[in-house]
Amino acid sequence: MFTKRYFPCAGARALHVPTRREFVYGLGASLGSVALTSLLAAEEKANPLAPKEGHFPGAKAKNVIFLMMEGGPSHIDTFDPKPMLEKMHLKEFVREGKQKSAMESGKRYYVRSPFPFIKAGQSGADMATNWSHLAKVADELCFFRGCTVDSVNHPTAMYQMNTGNRFGGDPGLGSWVNYGLGSVNQDLPGFIVLPEVSYPQGGAANWSNGYLPAQFQGTPLRPKGSPILDLAPPPGVTPEHQRKNLDLIAKLNSEHAATRPDHEELVARMDSYELAFRMQMQVPETLDLSKEDEKTKEQYGIGKDTTDAFGRKCLLARKLVEKGVRFVQLYHGSWDSHDYIERAHGNLVAGVDQPIAALIADLKERGLLESTLVVWCGEFGRTPDNGVRGGTAYGRDHNPNAMTIWLAGGGCKAGHTIGATDELGMEAVEGKAHVRDFHVTLLRLLGLDDNKLSFYHAGRFKQLSQFGGTVIQDLIA
Amino acid sequence: MKKESLFLWHSPAVSRDNKQPRMNRLHSVHRLLFSFALSSAALTQLVAAADDAEALFVRRIQPLFSEKCIACHGQEEVKIKGGFDMRSRESILAGGDSGEPGLVAGKPLESPLYLASTREHEDWEAMPPKETDKLYAEALGWIEIWIAGGAPWPDATRAVEITKANEAAWAAEDGIIVKTTGGLSPDWTNRRYPTEGLWGYAPLATSDFGSGISDWEKGKGEHPVDALIAKHFPVGVTPAPAADARTFIRRATFDLTGLPPTPEEIAAFEAESIPNPQSAIRNLLDRLLESPHYGERMAQHWLDVVRYADSSGFANDYERGNAWRYRDYVVRSFNTDKPYDQFIVEQIAGDELDPADPEKVIATGFLRMGPWELTGMEVAKIARQRFLDDVTNSVGEVFIAHSLQCARCHDHKFDPVPTVDYYSIQAVFATTQLVERPAPFLPNENTEGFGERAYLEKRRAEYLATLAELDRILLENAQAWFRENGKDPSGWNAAVEAIAAQGEKGGNRGFSEVFGAARNRLMKEGVAESDFPPKLVGFTPEQFGLERVARKGLERLRWEVDRYEPYALAVYNGATPQMKSVNSPLRLPKNPFAAGELEQTCILTGGDPFASGEKVKPGILSVLSSTAGLDGAVPEAPEGRRTAFAKWVAHPDNPLTTRAIVNRVWMWHFGEPLAGNPNNFGSTGKKPTHPELLDWLAATFVESGWSFKELHRTIMTSEAYRRSSGLEVSGSKLSREELEKTYAAFKPRRLSAEELRDAMLAATGELNPALGGIPNRPEINLEAAMQPRQVMGTFASAWVPNPLREERHRRSLYALKLRGQADPMMEVFNAPTPDFSCERRDASTVTPQVFALFNSRASLGRSLALATRVLRETETDEAAIDRIFALLLGRTATAAEIATCLAHWREMTPVQEKAVYPEVTPPLTVRREAVEENTGEKFSFDERLHAYADFVPDLQPGACDARTRALADVCLALLNSNEFAYVY
Repeated sequence: MFTKRYFPCAGARALHVPTRREFVYGLGASLGSVALTSLLAAEEKANPLAPKEGHFPGAKAKNVIFLMMEGGPSHIDTFDPKPMLEKMHLKEFVREGKQKSAMESGKRYYVRSPFPFIKAGQSGADMATNWSHLAKVADELCFFRGCTVDSVNHPTAMYQMNTGNRFGGDPGLGSWVNYGLGSVNQDLPGFIVLPEVSYPQGGAANWSNGYLPAQFQGTPLRPKGSPILDLAPPPGVTPEHQRKNLDLIAKLNSEHAATRPDHEELVARMDSYELAFRMQMQVPETLDLSKEDEKTKEQYGIGKDTTDAFGRKCLLARKLVEKGVRFVQLYHGSWDSHDYIERAHGNLVAGVDQPIAALIADLKERGLLESTLVVWCGEFGRTPDNGVRGGTAYGRDHNPNAMTIWLAGGGCKAGHTIGATDELGMEAVEGKAHVRDFHVTLLRLLGLDDNKLSFYHAGRFKQLSQFGGTVIQDLIA
Repeated sequence: MKKESLFLWHSPAVSRDNKQPRMNRLHSVHRLLFSFALSSAALTQLVAAADDAEALFVRRIQPLFSEKCIACHGQEEVKIKGGFDMRSRESILAGGDSGEPGLVAGKPLESPLYLASTREHEDWEAMPPKETDKLYAEALGWIEIWIAGGAPWPDATRAVEITKANEAAWAAEDGIIVKTTGGLSPDWTNRRYPTEGLWGYAPLATSDFGSGISDWEKGKGEHPVDALIAKHFPVGVTPAPAADARTFIRRATFDLTGLPPTPEEIAAFEAESIPNPQSAIRNLLDRLLESPHYGERMAQHWLDVVRYADSSGFANDYERGNAWRYRDYVVRSFNTDKPYDQFIVEQIAGDELDPADPEKVIATGFLRMGPWELTGMEVAKIARQRFLDDVTNSVGEVFIAHSLQCARCHDHKFDPVPTVDYYSIQAVFATTQLVERPAPFLPNENTEGFGERAYLEKRRAEYLATLAELDRILLENAQAWFRENGKDPSGWNAAVEAIAAQGEKGGNRGFSEVFGAARNRLMKEGVAESDFPPKLVGFTPEQFGLERVARKGLERLRWEVDRYEPYALAVYNGATPQMKSVNSPLRLPKNPFAAGELEQTCILTGGDPFASGEKVKPGILSVLSSTAGLDGAVPEAPEGRRTAFAKWVAHPDNPLTTRAIVNRVWMWHFGEPLAGNPNNFGSTGKKPTHPELLDWLAATFVESGWSFKELHRTIMTSEAYRRSSGLEVSGSKLSREELEKTYAAFKPRRLSAEELRDAMLAATGELNPALGGIPNRPEINLEAAMQPRQVMGTFASAWVPNPLREERHRRSLYALKLRGQADPMMEVFNAPTPDFSCERRDASTVTPQVFALFNSRASLGRSLALATRVLRETETDEAAIDRIFALLLGRTATAAEIATCLAHWREMTPVQEKAVYPEVTPPLTVRREAVEENTGEKFSFDERLHAYADFVPDLQPGACDARTRALADVCLALLNSNEFAYVY
């Protein structure tokens, strides 16, 4: 049997060079606008944001909620128990090899996990006991222990997890998915990011549209202040006041456009002002959680100090998916626990456990889990050992060779654990797959074929997996 | 049956060039399959002669397998996919993991190899897997015929015989072999290239138009640019007439300076144009080309291509304090019309030309433009290789319009760029090392504003005080630790006393750090670690956080204060120093060859820095030797490699270099390049629409002494450049796009992000036109400015604008450009990210642009300033409105427009009387909240924003009366109008 593989970075001449017309469609463009609708009539398929079929009809997942645990959660202390470390605790060793970075040099100590584990659910999934809420939905989860990445550095690893390319500047997963499937709700961005108050390492490039058209850029909804920059005019300017100014712009612009009837960018730009005015009203409405019932809020841990922030994000993510937003990415962190992992990971888990469990239960109850793929991961895993910190401030360093990712919903193989790491959790040894294969699998769950989802840029066709990958069939139900 | 018939079997409509798969190809494959099935018997007859199939194998099948299959099915024995080895007939017949033979000789429709290639068969996965790599219909036909003909596989000797016998016939049909240093395989070396894909490597075509436009200026003959453009006019087109004087001066002024013309300049030009349009244009161009803003505008273009930024990107995003000196070098170079060949050589090898000349050293900042860092988390060798790969690809894209990275792991798939050449060019830089190099300030550099360093020193003092205080706390906590653990503190106390006695000089970071030093001392003495307190003992989450913020903050300051020191972001030649991490500016070693590894460049198999293959010598792109007769010898000695290479790049006979630059300049004027991919002249890039024009411009450019200013004159005096963008093209049935593409009408463009901002500041009179100097910090959206930004282990400091208006209101070129913190306004208007070389800017229309331009405080500030200005400069309401139109749009307002705007002004005045604008007070601190990584708990601290203490805000609504504010509403509308945003 021939297997899926092809010559790396091969390409051909432009299939799809974005047309001028594609550039004129803005964020939220296309519906409810006479001017734009008439444009659309001229070139029906021109709107790159219109919803479209994937390459594999019948795929279950339509939307993604991506829970990004920035900083690199420790698989060993969450979902991949390593009893062997009990025996090796504080044993010293020296790491060898020319690919060693400065972080890995010097004396190292093995460190046992401070967390006890249970077998959760019917499926008997391994979970540290402090995931007490998540354990209740354990049978919805599909754990993957085989993923490896190329970088031990935060921003490069983040870029790789988010865009497939370690060096940044490439389109994010959410951009690709929207490029492939379009957006159901034309008045909200199709790729929404709910960052922490402080942006992760590598910054906004983690949700960049890269070389894809600007419409596919991730829109961060900031947890504090104005959710979108300059969404509202400066204080003092009322909506009526603003409407008057808009009307003057429209008048001046339409007189100008009348002299240049063929110049459709002018019309598109005029229209973008009307769309902006509508978004200004709609976005705050969407973000308003005050009308949600109290029981729901309580389930998500909203109102409790430890869980409030992430609970809000999870509830908002569910609302956004309901409204047809294709891809929502939530950030939490930093999980970069080099020291005192018991305290650090303890607090971090306490912050997300209940909200995530509530999200999965809520999606299921509303019949959305089947069509919503939930992904939980960091940018890499952590080492079973600690460095020069002297074996007192027990923590863990970065580990690109082992990590745990889990999926829920969206046609994933719930109730299974796929792949395995060695007895210390140092490296993936079973079901080992590069992150590009993981990416290809996510696309496959959404009905997209990574090899077909390509975009011509800088002399070749580019794709999320960079040079192609293999679907990890074991993750698919 | 005639032999040729085999090779002409395919439909003549399917040309060799028609490789690219089509979206609707599925249908055609289907048809193809169907037709083959029907005619299978006939086909077997057709290919009865075994030598036909043999020849087909040599000519088509083997190269096809190499191109499409072998990478996964034979190239690396250990990694053969699916166990299917395609290196021999036997191994194909043996099949792969499926157990079935890969082909059945004589029966293509039973052969998995064929069936998989059709991509239509249920049992066999589509091959090659990648949609964009699928076999073109013609190739599918070859496979079928070859199998039908018994799938013969002649041995090497026989293959050579067949090739020789058919050489002439095949060359005529398949393109030519191009000589290079040679590929990793003979197949690659001997492959054939369709000639049309080789246009970039050919010498410049000679032309009948002589050199330059001097004949035309003397009234002899047509303008060469127009003559060459007219050759490609569609049948029957009548080009648009010349744009009117007002439109032309706005276009030319934005194009050459990035700024709008003043109403006075427009009036003068219009008056001068009436008697003699040609001399008016000539004078206008002379004036604009002499403007110091010309260099700024061209620098903006150039910095897009070279990826200029003031920071290093990635985890730390450290500031590159000295990058600004390279930016200003570029401005100066354009302003003095530095010959382009010299400009090239200085940027690649200025330090080798004259290490004592600061200007030359600064020029090599070009080699440092890529994002780069080395942290302790990274393997040093990999980071070094990242630099080498980056710089190799960069010189390729920037100067010779070739993305070389394709040849890093394998010989180039489409272009005559062997992997050997990639590493030969890389070897040119193998002795190039990164450094912030001493370079005294030049008299023509702007060294104003260094006083702002005082704000950074305040920050430093704060960090030091924090660390001293935390040290005191740790010493207290240590005592508590001994009490709680019931251990004897006497050894510890002795160590603390001894260190404290050494006094202030103990701490090389400028503060005494007794706690850590005491721990180190006891550790060295061999005291068990359980007998003294752990590091950072007893810290609260907040203290953990503060310690890190201060420690890393001091580290970051080392980069920031380098801005005011006479160093250049540069390179030197030497051995590669051993480094674990780079967290302060790098200084020149005393003896650059004394320590470290003198790198010997090798081919890296698969691009892997740990998989060294054959050694290579420094060299050039070899293809030009055979196509353009251009050789270049690069010395092996570590010094002088870059000079030799740069001279090859900048050689007048280097057709890639000369075409690449005139193509860029053309695009800077017309929005469209002549060759559609300015960074890629290879066969996957778009071919020139007007090849004769491109070549004539390139030749003329060299003959003029590589003068940019002459090139602008040549282009801008043409009718093509002067044409109207209106569509008064009589009787034309052509679309606007077609007219613009053929230059029959001028293509309007939206102002770039920088032009938009600069034009607003120019119109309001707020623009500070000073040239060069350290980067400034204009006000950006306040929330974005205060947005916490994680960098390695801590937060980057907030974006604090310069305190004074004139410092903030400088041209956008001078705004501090941090890779990790883009100005949102610039970003939404398509300012490119500095991660990649930007060959051309987009001009998309997206809704966030509206938020930025219509809702922002910046736009409010500009509107108020403009309203205040016109009220000051005019006597009547009508004149005020007219003046706004003149300043923003460069024209008088119509009576109807005046009426509309007056009505709005009057309507808005009572609204503004009622409006309440809360006063905006500059934030002196910003509260930072984060999850502390040691504890996973939240912590917060106040970052002090020292420069805000002296902040003089822009004109605020509260400082203006309602009438002014209402007029500002009119200004805001016009700032947002299409007419303002577009250049026609």
